[in-house]
Amino acid sequence: MKTRKNIIYVLFVFVNITPYLYSFYDFQKIHFGIDNIIGFYPIYGFLACMGLIIIAKTFSIIFKKDDTYYD
Amino acid sequence: MISNLITHPSIALIAGAILIYIFKGRGNYISLISLLISFIILIVFTGQKDLIFATTKISIHYFSYSNLSFLFCLVFLLIGIIGKVFSIYNNNDNEKALILIYIASSIAVIFSGDFLTLYVFWEIMAITSTFVIWSSDSIHSGKAGQRYLIMHLFGGLMLLFGIIGLYLDTNNLAIRIINLESWYSCLILTGLLLNAGAPPFSQWISDAYPEGSYSSTVFLSAYTTKTSVFVLIMTFAGNYILILLGVYMIMYGIIYALLENDIRRILSYSIVNQVGFMIVGIGIGTELSINGTAAHAFSHIIYKGLLLMSAGSVIYMTGKRKCSDVGGLYKTMPITAACGIIGALSISAFPLTSGFISKSMIIDASYHQNLEIIWLLLLVGSAGVFLHAGIKFPWFVFFHKDQQIDTEDPPIFMKGSMIVASAICIILGMMPSLLYEILPYKVNYIPYTGNHVVSQLHLLLFSALAFFISVKYLKRTQTITLDIDWFYRNKLEYIDKAYNYISKSLFNYVEKINLGVLRNKFGVFEGFLLKQITISNMLTLILITLFIFLALNI
Repeated sequence: MKTRKNIIYVLFVFVNITPYLYSFYDFQKIHFGIDNIIGFYPIYGFLACMGLIIIAKTFSIIFKKDDTYYD
Repeated sequence: MISNLITHPSIALIAGAILIYIFKGRGNYISLISLLISFIILIVFTGQKDLIFATTKISIHYFSYSNLSFLFCLVFLLIGIIGKVFSIYNNNDNEKALILIYIASSIAVIFSGDFLTLYVFWEIMAITSTFVIWSSDSIHSGKAGQRYLIMHLFGGLMLLFGIIGLYLDTNNLAIRIINLESWYSCLILTGLLLNAGAPPFSQWISDAYPEGSYSSTVFLSAYTTKTSVFVLIMTFAGNYILILLGVYMIMYGIIYALLENDIRRILSYSIVNQVGFMIVGIGIGTELSINGTAAHAFSHIIYKGLLLMSAGSVIYMTGKRKCSDVGGLYKTMPITAACGIIGALSISAFPLTSGFISKSMIIDASYHQNLEIIWLLLLVGSAGVFLHAGIKFPWFVFFHKDQQIDTEDPPIFMKGSMIVASAICIILGMMPSLLYEILPYKVNYIPYTGNHVVSQLHLLLFSALAFFISVKYLKRTQTITLDIDWFYRNKLEYIDKAYNYISKSLFNYVEKINLGVLRNKFGVFEGFLLKQITISNMLTLILITLFIFLALNI
């Protein structure tokens, strides 16, 4: 329950901060063009992490063992 | 020569280690004083000079100074001093002396100018670090140290064969950039990469380091892998294969750390991950990326030391080392929690911390070389670091479910050293020029641009969002994740069985031959040899033999 409350709080703060940050952003100084898309970094960061978590969970299906496995 | 030797920063440390064994019970004073002397020698006396011990056949270049070696030596001594203050309550004198030799040998490696000197100190480093692991009272430290030693001796052997090949081919042992075209350069690269924790040998870091004592892990994390990074910069900078290996290490570290339960093992996986960034930097090989690698190694050693000190404090105070056993410690250990969070923010390259000013140089270097895919993967890596070390570590240790553990912050020296390390992380983050001035190449890099700060904040904050959304899937369980070491762990008994079988069958075979006759013949002679001779007689005999050798000048 406490975790859920935290999520809501964190979400609230992020959604509020995100658009304002772009006022510091110079769209002329881009890297490869892909980062010129508004919301590239937030979306990419979010999807990358979700992807990593999914990969880790899939990985754990086969390779996760009890911690006394080697004893 | 002797007067030159004194200006080598390792000498004070080796002298300190010997003195610890002579004056038992004064390990703390001696090790701190010798580290400080070594630090002063580095700053004041060590200048731009190369010491070469030359004989007719081969010249040993045991002290080669460069800006890069100065930077690495500086940070090695800095974390040495901080770590020593942290481990002041550890009463194991043996461990203290071994740590001093370990630091001395790693400094000797980074100052060595030829492969022979490098190899000698490389092996001393491997052996002393194994003894450091063994001197812990952890029940698994014996076997973990064994596996660590076997792994490093194997790597050392690869390195040795490579060096022999290099000498036979070029007749020149000086440390220089080597082309990856011949068999021996591949062997040298394998030997060096093994120490850096590159695949498929990444598991030794998370296997061995967490088995050290609460304080020795701070030292273990700093030297072996970073010495390897240093030597790789000097020998294999600009090899594309290193970029691929580095990216693999980044992803490996994240995925394994996400599934891990042991606090220090999570941090060990993040060493692999961070060294991965450095290996990518070496692989890119431009001035910016080499600067980035050196800067990242510097800041990494400090914040990783800080993270392991906060983990060590938790272990020292609570005796628990698993995420599933702790939680809610921010109430009882506020300073440890604050320092741990600063370390976690630094490793995630949060703006105003040391990680931000160093890691971004490597990522920008990939952009300057037009490596778009690598750039995108490094961004995934940056987000992933925040996920596994930036949030996971502090969240599961200091927050999450309160386990009602009755404890408090660690004693004053432990707190002090954590606070100093946190201060260094923040000062470097706020004043990057302090670090940029001592980098090997001239720096024209400005980390604090609007784009960079905004993009980094976006990336990190939304990684945090991903973590909190999926936090219930990341809940800690009492499990481990299998790795390459599955192939040889617990398989040692088979080797034992095979050895027993072979020796038994050999013994039977020998028994079949009748040695009785021979035995009788030598009986008389055996009797004479086994006669009890007094020590003085024996010594006289030895002296006479030596004298004859001397007189004949053999």
